[in-house]
Amino acid sequence: MRVAAGVDVGSTQTKAVVMAENGGRSILARALVDTGANVRKAAENAFLTACRNAEIPPTEVGFVVGTGYGRYNISFGNAQLTEISCHARGAHFVCPSTRTVIDMGGQDAKAISVGSDGQVLDFVMNDKCAAGTGRFLANAADVMGIGLEEVGPLSLRATRAIKIATVCTVFVESDILSYLAQGKKAEDILGGVHLAIAKRTLSLARRVPIEPDVTMTGGVARNVGMVRALEEVLGSKMQVSPDAHFMGAIGAAVFALEKMDQSFESSMWRPEHASGSGH
Amino acid sequence: MRVVAGIDCGSGFTKAVLVAQNGSPTSSILGKGRAKSGINMEEAAQSALQSALENAGLGRSQVDYVATTGFGRYGVGFRDIQVTEITSGARGAHYLFPGSRCVLDIGGQSTRAMTMSESGKVRTFKTNDKCAAGSGMFIARAAKYLEISIEDVGTLSLQATNPQPISSVCAVLAESEIINHVSAGVSVENILRGIHDSLADRALAMLKRVGMEGEVTFIGGVALQAGIVKALQEKLGAKVNVPPDCDYVCALGAALLGHKRLALKENSASIQEVS
Repeated sequence: MRVAAGVDVGSTQTKAVVMAENGGRSILARALVDTGANVRKAAENAFLTACRNAEIPPTEVGFVVGTGYGRYNISFGNAQLTEISCHARGAHFVCPSTRTVIDMGGQDAKAISVGSDGQVLDFVMNDKCAAGTGRFLANAADVMGIGLEEVGPLSLRATRAIKIATVCTVFVESDILSYLAQGKKAEDILGGVHLAIAKRTLSLARRVPIEPDVTMTGGVARNVGMVRALEEVLGSKMQVSPDAHFMGAIGAAVFALEKMDQSFESSMWRPEHASGSGH
Repeated sequence: MRVVAGIDCGSGFTKAVLVAQNGSPTSSILGKGRAKSGINMEEAAQSALQSALENAGLGRSQVDYVATTGFGRYGVGFRDIQVTEITSGARGAHYLFPGSRCVLDIGGQSTRAMTMSESGKVRTFKTNDKCAAGSGMFIARAAKYLEISIEDVGTLSLQATNPQPISSVCAVLAESEIINHVSAGVSVENILRGIHDSLADRALAMLKRVGMEGEVTFIGGVALQAGIVKALQEKLGAKVNVPPDCDYVCALGAALLGHKRLALKENSASIQEVS
């Protein structure tokens, strides 16, 4: 059995996945930690926790691929890949019929067009604005004085979703306050907020363009309200795996197993190559 | 003598200015006052007006007319008239700097640029209606995270030795960039000047889009910060006019426009009486 790992250092949370190849490929363990200010430490923590969860000594992990915005801060990584490649690859591993990935993370939103082998065909990315990111939702939750995990379920109970014209995190904050002051219901406000963000994210995603199956990845996939709002605007169901949050790390681990093969092969070829050059 | 109150209901603060006119077009500013804006715009407007009245030593009954402006202008029930903050800002800036043809107004949640005619009429304008990028909120959030008071931002920024650029457009995402700078050991002064540089860049782009020419007058609460004024002047390569009460200019403009309206109304009333 050969073991490799993927570490996805996101802006908000760092994810690690340990994967084994033994005939087929399977996920042995996952770990999730807050990224915080010390990116290097977060990567290390996530990796070691995943190893512990997998009951595999870290020294037996043959190859580690880092991804996410903090990927170059991973001191123990053997290679780095963009989160775009890793999300596409991870989504393809979990759901091979994936042709479009919608990734909503802590600080950015992306849409990726995926080929039949899990390769990236095209992508669009929004990293200029917090709309559609976890930060946006965390901010909305803060303003309403509720927990981030309550925002989605509460929005599902909306009966008359309020029309929200702006998706700017700062403007929505004051909008929410004035709607609350007008006596509007929290669920109707949140219903409107989720719908506005879904529309904006999909108008970005349509530039790739969107082909079925659509797989949603990233931490925001855990928000049931956002999933439903996206499906409503999209007019079709999406694939939302319980591992959606780990998709980047899963993709990185798949790449790590493949890279391990290559480095194994190249090390086998080296003596032959050396003797060849000796003639 | 007629006294008109101009009340600017902004996203952060509500400002009131009392202006007197005595038949002739010369106006005099009697007093000013402000209050924090909240959910209830009417309440904030009342208390800003009250503080302006105390400042001027006048009673409420001495106010003949009330003109409101700013995003909460419709929320004030006791108003006689409301004008947009674009019109009032241009009018106020023109009163203070008659030679100015271009106004930059950066407030708590808004950025506006307008050009105006010789008489202070708005010709062209641009606003950030879609998002808070480039507005005072950008600075307010940074100050909150850095745990410094907003009043100190301007002077601290002037002490920067090696400004660190902030590339984010989004006021919310900029926070993470600031966190990175802090953990990399960048000084507060250098971070703040970086923020001011970034805002000045955005403001300049807006001024260019609006067709900036001649003297620029910089108004709004953010103009109180010396650091951004310096950054803007450096990028512009010219001095900009910053009135001492730069945050009261829209309220002043509203009061002046209120006077004009009041005079028209009284004129037409006297014509009706005659006929």
